[in-house]
Amino acid sequence: MTVPGNEAELLTRVVSGDRDAFDAVMRNHEDRVFSVCLRILGDREKALDATQDTFLTVFRKAGQFQGRSAVGTWIYRIAVNTCYDQLRRAQRRPSESLPEHVDPSDPSAEEAIESAALRPEIEAALAELPPDFRNAVVLSDLEGLSLPEAAEILGVPIGTVKSRVFRGRRLLAKHLGNQNDQ
Amino acid sequence: MHDHPLDLIAALADGSLSDEGEARALVESCPECREEYRTQIEVIGWLAATPAAEMTDLEKAALHRDLWTELRNQPGKSPATPWWQRLVYVAAGLFVTVGLVSVLNNGALNGGADSGAATTAAGALDAPTEGDPFVAQGSDDGESAPEFTTETTAAATETTAAASGGEESLAIPFAELAEEARSNQADRSATQGTDRDVAACLARVALDEHVVVDEIDLDQIYLLVMPEDPEAEPIVTFVVLPRCEIVYVG
Repeated sequence: MTVPGNEAELLTRVVSGDRDAFDAVMRNHEDRVFSVCLRILGDREKALDATQDTFLTVFRKAGQFQGRSAVGTWIYRIAVNTCYDQLRRAQRRPSESLPEHVDPSDPSAEEAIESAALRPEIEAALAELPPDFRNAVVLSDLEGLSLPEAAEILGVPIGTVKSRVFRGRRLLAKHLGNQNDQ
Repeated sequence: MHDHPLDLIAALADGSLSDEGEARALVESCPECREEYRTQIEVIGWLAATPAAEMTDLEKAALHRDLWTELRNQPGKSPATPWWQRLVYVAAGLFVTVGLVSVLNNGALNGGADSGAATTAAGALDAPTEGDPFVAQGSDDGESAPEFTTETTAAATETTAAASGGEESLAIPFAELAEEARSNQADRSATQGTDRDVAACLARVALDEHVVVDEIDLDQIYLLVMPEDPEAEPIVTFVVLPRCEIVYVG
């Protein structure tokens, strides 16, 4: 079902209790939120948890959205912060086993496993990056967001995110080169 | 290599430079810069070839199901209501309270007046944040103030009814409420309670050209009915549901 209206209007409707509006917001952003969380956390189950936590926060804070950024940018910022919180709680590096828990009764699970496993060396190299670099590379190069968008989501100046992306790529090349040498 | 050339070369690699002249000259003249450029291009290519991470259909379904379960289990954590909307709720609550106190002060009701008003004010302020996040926040069209009006009117009257001894001694101030409906120029263009087969009931008691302008929910539903034609004499009729009987005309 499609719910008409721009995204800011949808959030206003969420505040007034419109369930369809919230479902529409979720449908618009759940894939990218999950993707960002998976790249940052490196673990499918944790990414699903983080995706759920992200939308819980979106629901509860919908009334605080002030329209200073795109709704998507606001939501991805919540997603990144949620992932930061998870990483802080875990206090350990993310696992590299992506699709272990996928439900075997899910007909699309096999495809998801194959998709996630296409470039395991890149996933592993990403996991080796310092979190700040990894997040910048994920948002910019994997999710295709502009540098200003990535900067807003990460809460840092554009120059900082630019530098992190560039250095992150350099480190990725180094890690990937090391993997190939082994 | 210094930081500045790295940023410049990397920006050349991802195509974000508006003027590539300086960066291209650098890459051509400096072997180290050329190597850096190749590295950046290579990594961008790897990342671009990485497929998007997607949830399976079952994972999406589980996400939605778990999310709604979580929201229902934590009813107190509904969306933070903006300050202006809270102000509207408070204003609506005060408006209803003042209206009720005005009616009660006219002497139609006995001793429960003050407690009724207090109940009304508390109910009006509490209503938006309690219960299921998608049930207690008002109607889907966002017009929550009318709901508060109906609920709080009923709450106040109910309090009064309880104080005066229950159903046998209900002292519903029909005349006062009818007069208030007339003086407030109740909106006759909007009917209420159509889910209770109101139209059929009104037709049965020969009020088919009338509309419901308000209702009071006690042990039974009391409808305040007025002629649909605004030019007609503003006679207020009270019809009680589900019996569908006229209990007052004035």
